[in-house]
Amino acid sequence: MLANQGVLHETALQSMIESQSLINPKHGKWKRNIVADLLLTALIDAFSILVIFLLMSFSSTGDMLYISKGQELPKASLADILERNPVVKLEEGKIFLESKEVTQNSLVGALLDMRKQFIESHPGEEAPNILMVQGDRRLKYEQLNQIILAASHAGYSDIRFAVMMK
Amino acid sequence: MRKHGKHLDFEINLIPCIDLLSVCICFLLLTAVWLHVGSMNVKQAVGGQSQAETPKKPLLWVYMGQDGQLSFNVQQSSLVPAALVNLKLPGIEGHANFSELNRILTQLTTKDPDLKTALIQPQAQSSYEEIIALMDEFKKLGLTDLGIAPL
Repeated sequence: MLANQGVLHETALQSMIESQSLINPKHGKWKRNIVADLLLTALIDAFSILVIFLLMSFSSTGDMLYISKGQELPKASLADILERNPVVKLEEGKIFLESKEVTQNSLVGALLDMRKQFIESHPGEEAPNILMVQGDRRLKYEQLNQIILAASHAGYSDIRFAVMMK
Repeated sequence: MRKHGKHLDFEINLIPCIDLLSVCICFLLLTAVWLHVGSMNVKQAVGGQSQAETPKKPLLWVYMGQDGQLSFNVQQSSLVPAALVNLKLPGIEGHANFSELNRILTQLTTKDPDLKTALIQPQAQSSYEEIIALMDEFKKLGLTDLGIAPL
């Protein structure tokens, strides 16, 4: 009763199948125009909002660090923009220099080799003294200390700790 | 006189707009970086230049102790009063007391506005997360030249 008197009943569009059915006594009654246009303006509005949101979160610096599944970087609110520098990663007790595994003893040598390679490939340019350190937030300083010491020995005076922006 | 049958009102063709926006959304979704990774820039606190070459700037040494305890030592500053040169800040539940740290650093930087350098000396068991949190706090209070000392 209520459903028959409701606004929905009056405004709902009749389906094409319903009106053309032979069983249905309403067959042949083309009283209402079937105008089922999509509201494109609303769709464009939604799309525009999505584009604006995605543009806001767009990062032109790209993905420079590979963060493995179990690794959590420490969080900081006043961090600087990430730049491309040699990366030393500490993961599950292993040390990786640019995704190549190195030992604690060979880290200084590997860093020096990298520096030498840079000088050979970029003659006349000064080798960068910046090293990026990527480690889990739960690490103890004694584990990081070996990298800091190796960096110091290899002439990397600036250290950049990879952090997650708050 | 014959009337023109052409409608004066027209509709913008929205289909190309939708196409364009769809392509934009697909591209942005594929290239979106959801994790914002930054870097905390520090220098080696020990080594590098010789003492004669190093300019005499006021600096703050921070020693990280057991259970979040912090010890402060201001060096090369004539403006910081003797009572504030050496301070100790006990930790709370094994972590550094950041609210009190904020107060101490504000006090020190008010006394000597040239105090911009902080050198951190962690312990072997100091957590990396806590070191970064400390550096972040220093940066917030204007101590922008940060250094870390090896063990």
